[in-house]
Amino acid sequence: MKATFRIWRQDTPNGQGGFKDYEVDGLNADMSFLEALDHLNEILVLRNEKVVAFEYDCREGICGQCGVYINGRAHGPHENITTCQLHMRSFEDGATIVIEPWRADAFPIIKDLIVDRSAFDRIIEQGGYISAKTGTAPEANAIPIGKEISDRAMDAAACIGCGACVATCKNASAALFTSAKINHLNSLPQGQPEAHKRVLEMTAQMEKEGFGHCTFTGACEVECPEGISIVNIAEMNARYLKAKLFS
Amino acid sequence: MELFFRKSIIAATGLFLCIFLIVHLSANCILLLPEDIARELYNSYSTTLRENPLIKLVAYALYLSIILHVVYALLVTLRNRKAKPTKYALNHSNENSSWASQNMGLIGIFILLFIVVHLANFWARIKLGMGEAVGTDAFGYVDVYEVTSSLFHNIYYVIFYSLLMIPLGLHLHHGLKSAFKTLGFYHKSGLDLLAEVAVVYAAIMSIGFGVIPFIVYFK
Ligand code: HEM
Ligand code: FES
Repeated sequence: MKATFRIWRQDTPNGQGGFKDYEVDGLNADMSFLEALDHLNEILVLRNEKVVAFEYDCREGICGQCGVYINGRAHGPHENITTCQLHMRSFEDGATIVIEPWRADAFPIIKDLIVDRSAFDRIIEQGGYISAKTGTAPEANAIPIGKEISDRAMDAAACIGCGACVATCKNASAALFTSAKINHLNSLPQGQPEAHKRVLEMTAQMEKEGFGHCTFTGACEVECPEGISIVNIAEMNARYLKAKLFS
Repeated sequence: MELFFRKSIIAATGLFLCIFLIVHLSANCILLLPEDIARELYNSYSTTLRENPLIKLVAYALYLSIILHVVYALLVTLRNRKAKPTKYALNHSNENSSWASQNMGLIGIFILLFIVVHLANFWARIKLGMGEAVGTDAFGYVDVYEVTSSLFHNIYYVIFYSLLMIPLGLHLHHGLKSAFKTLGFYHKSGLDLLAEVAVVYAAIMSIGFGVIPFIVYFK
């Protein structure tokens, strides 16, 4: 299988970037997208050219490191998957595949396809945890939590912080990420003591990092590998209002 | 905090304008009645409204809402542009979201253009007394019906008024759904219902306002 990779190359964070075309032969349809990029990099090494910098860790859809924009979509043409879960069989033989880094003011490019997502870490630092010392893991049934609530918390907790929501959002809003992190903890009893503080401080950090307003286009929930629902954002807004009024 | 505050202003003013549109369309249905009944009803209705102090208050709320809505929409759009300074070379946003949701600002500019022309046609003539003087009907009411019916005997105005109800429908469809979520309504099945209501509401508004000029033209 053949493909032309049209890849954004940029050496330094503030340097001038641009697209470069690479015609790659010897691919096969069962390769994952990242394996296809590995294949390209092996060719580049042999040609003594600079390899394409891209991020990954688990390659099994759980770490959230591998986000890139592929053919006009976050994580490529399918809904709700990560880039490492995308395979070359999703493309036609001989296709031109455009690959760009996430684009957002709050996610500056480090090199080629790698962006700096530490803005997410700083949002987490403002309350994406509980500050009580819990010791070793407590007995699971010590605090009874209804199924509906535990399901909702678990759905929100599934967020792997890949940044696809910001990347696909025309406003580069981080509302889906931030709301998932807030709702996960605030819907559980363990999150209650710091609930109001958490919403106010995490959203304040989200604003400080330069993310945009959420206008509910709904693109984020389509591209989110964990299928986190946009309803989380509405819930965050309600929690924010409540915190403003009662804290 | 600006991220919440600005969007909430847009949502609250937008919803108020949505309610206003229902009242406005209902009143305009009078125009569909036979000529002499329509003239008397429409003129007496509009005179009653103009003379009611409570309605005056609502009218000021309406002007304020439009201004706030547009100003905050501008602020939101500017920040959003700044948050995404570089666009993708290739972006298939149509595969994950509706065109209207991606272009609310552009659609809004068309609606603003409509509002300006609409106010110039009616509000400026009737309330500010600008342009050609407005006469009175047989009962001594200001003849608002005549203003409407003469405007809509000009085919260019008919087309302009009808065509611009398309962006209105698109704006209302996304706006209604978005506003509730902005204001923190997160009941899942309620939102599913809202999505259906928004289609029906937007269709009634844009088709309703859009066909009345044609009906008046052919009357
Ligand atoms: C009859 C007139 C109008 C009505 C009923 C209306 C209604 C709405 C509603 C309900 C929203 C949703 C608020 C939210 O997302 O939380 C909205 C959003 C918005 N409106 Fe309007 N609007 C009107 C006129 C305008 C005009 C004249 C402009 C601009 C010139 C405009 C620009 C916007 C923008 C930029 C947004 C936010 C974008 C978004 O949420 O995606 N609107 N409008
Ligand atoms: S590499 Fe871990 S999610 Fe893709």
